[in-house]
Amino acid sequence: MFGQRGRMNGRLWALAAIFALGGVVLTARVAYVQLVDTEHYRAQAQNEHFGQQEVRAARGAILDRNGYPLATTVDAFDVFVNRADWQNLDDARKAAAIIAPLIGQKPDDLVNQVRNEDKGLYLAYAGLDFAKGASLHDADAPGLRVVQTTKRFYPEGDLASTLLGFVGRDHTGLTGVERDFDRELGGVPGTIYFERDSIGNRLSLGAERIGQQPDPGGNIRLTIDRYIQRLVEGELEAQIAKTGALGGSIVVMEPKTGALLAVASNPGFKLSHLDLNKPDQSLFRDRAVTDVYEPGSVFKTLTASMAIDLGLVTPESTYDDIGAAYIGPSTIRNWDFSVNGVTSVTQILQRSLNTGAVWMSGLIGADAFYSYVRKFGLGEPTHVGLGGEPDGLVRSNADPDWTEVDLATNSFGQGIAATPLQVITAIGSIANGGRLMRPYIVQEMDTPEGTRSFSPVVVRQVMSEQTAATVTDMMNQVVEGNPGHLAAIKGYHVAGKTGTTTGATLADGTVRNGNVASFIGFAPVNDPKMIVLVKLDFKEDRLGGQVSAPVFADLAPSILAYLGVKPDGPQLVATGP
Amino acid sequence: MAALHRPAIPAPRILGKPRAGKLLLVGAIALVVIAAGFQVNQFSRLTSTGYQINELNRQRAERQAENHALEAEVAQLSSLARVDWEARTRRHLEPAQQKLYIAVNHDVPDRQTLPTRFLPPEAPDAGQAGDPTWKRLLKSLPFF
Repeated sequence: MFGQRGRMNGRLWALAAIFALGGVVLTARVAYVQLVDTEHYRAQAQNEHFGQQEVRAARGAILDRNGYPLATTVDAFDVFVNRADWQNLDDARKAAAIIAPLIGQKPDDLVNQVRNEDKGLYLAYAGLDFAKGASLHDADAPGLRVVQTTKRFYPEGDLASTLLGFVGRDHTGLTGVERDFDRELGGVPGTIYFERDSIGNRLSLGAERIGQQPDPGGNIRLTIDRYIQRLVEGELEAQIAKTGALGGSIVVMEPKTGALLAVASNPGFKLSHLDLNKPDQSLFRDRAVTDVYEPGSVFKTLTASMAIDLGLVTPESTYDDIGAAYIGPSTIRNWDFSVNGVTSVTQILQRSLNTGAVWMSGLIGADAFYSYVRKFGLGEPTHVGLGGEPDGLVRSNADPDWTEVDLATNSFGQGIAATPLQVITAIGSIANGGRLMRPYIVQEMDTPEGTRSFSPVVVRQVMSEQTAATVTDMMNQVVEGNPGHLAAIKGYHVAGKTGTTTGATLADGTVRNGNVASFIGFAPVNDPKMIVLVKLDFKEDRLGGQVSAPVFADLAPSILAYLGVKPDGPQLVATGP
Repeated sequence: MAALHRPAIPAPRILGKPRAGKLLLVGAIALVVIAAGFQVNQFSRLTSTGYQINELNRQRAERQAENHALEAEVAQLSSLARVDWEARTRRHLEPAQQKLYIAVNHDVPDRQTLPTRFLPPEAPDAGQAGDPTWKRLLKSLPFF
């Protein structure tokens, strides 16, 4: 082996060299794997040994203006059954006896449902309460899989259902605020890695690490007040039941800021009875925001505002009402076919005379009239931030098929269509010194950059403050100058105007020649704190002053008292110590 | 009797080098054993700590879930529908037919909004809670 002097011979040297070379190659390869292409091999190893699961971020809450949650998220469990494990009937019965009572089913029914097929996972219950799910988590039930998840919870029940909307099974907002602010509410999902066996099943005692922490969604604080919303929804439902209306909307707004305090629509849906398997999508939209209607005589307040702002008339200006206005071949009469003789502008509003509105529109002229219509924000969305808001329908003298009759009918709110939100925004400018506010529904929002607050936005000065004050006085005369007006309330001075539209198409096009009865009013007159629009849809003829004005009269005192507005009338106030 | 003069057999010489080598070997083995034992101990503690961390995370998740559930329950209990139901059924109250307003010379109390996790975070009191203990101790000294 060794030579005489203990030296290795050539063959040994060669062998050693081969081993050494092999060692160097191996070392180089190890170094390459460990140092150069580390991430690639690490990822390969992780893919082999670790499974990946998306962790849903907790969805943010939707709060009312005072911080009360209208929709929030709670932890829950989805309960699955592995069908293959229930092919043994004894095992199935044993497990069903544990699971069924917690998910409100009969054990035999559950067994039958699961054993309909022989493989795959069966979702026995989605969104089981956390306490019940946790008790199932450690239960000795063959085939049982419980997966922690979250579910939407509505502490106020069905309050503001159409406004809030709902989320789908994947917790993505599908309608309402849930959809319109899905990005802010949804958050960013995280990732969790878990050790798995050779066929991909999770090891119960295996390692687990979080790849990326889920970033919870932010809370959204609305301008909606739960008390007022509840009041309004209750009143709307009661009046519909009482009058047999097909449906309706009520919107309550702060005229000085444009903050929406309540938005109610009927028909709608109930969050507690939501069936996503048979969705009636026509019930999901918020009709106060998405549906247009002809505002009718409510519009006369805007026509009067234009004429006064242009200096064409004063409240005392008069015209001779002969009971009809002739526009080319068309004849326009008053709603009650009355002939009133010499009538003032204030009386035009008090008696809601179509001929008076036509007379004023003639003075204003088409160019100025439609310029004001645009200034009032009609014919374009209010940009409230809610989805599905239309432009509305305004045919102006710039349109090819426009005629003089359009101007005449538009002056008393017919042949022009707007959403309830557009109408309350436009008339809200009268209650706000002539300033048109942009209505808004979100007061505050949590974003990754911090809390974002929304401030009131003045869109434009539509008319002078003096004009707004004058029209407010005239609207006050509409209510308080008409003895027995059903919108009058004790303790507060109210300004308002009724509106009735006949021949309207209602209930998603199924009712033609229907009737829209509305009332819009604000109070207190000297410093308006709230403006309310009540709109009810009927199959038969009903007057806004008879069916919608009383709704305002019922709502206004409660809302004003709740907002801390002291009554104007001293007779109801006792001075404390 | 003749005695043969035989040279005395020299005592076997203990070579320094092999003895040191053995000691070194024993020492190295002992070191390896100790290191291995230490590593096993460390791994054991690591595993145990990892399990504890997982367990604590699970407990934390449970507590958070319970907390959310309690907050939801509080919110539900303070909901208007429930208040209304309680007023009608337990207190036998009815909606007022006539409202009387009484002016009092007292500020309106702050509203208690629930639950607290929905309230905007309070700004930390700089110089109090934000400072470490040693800094607060230093600040308490009269000459600082």
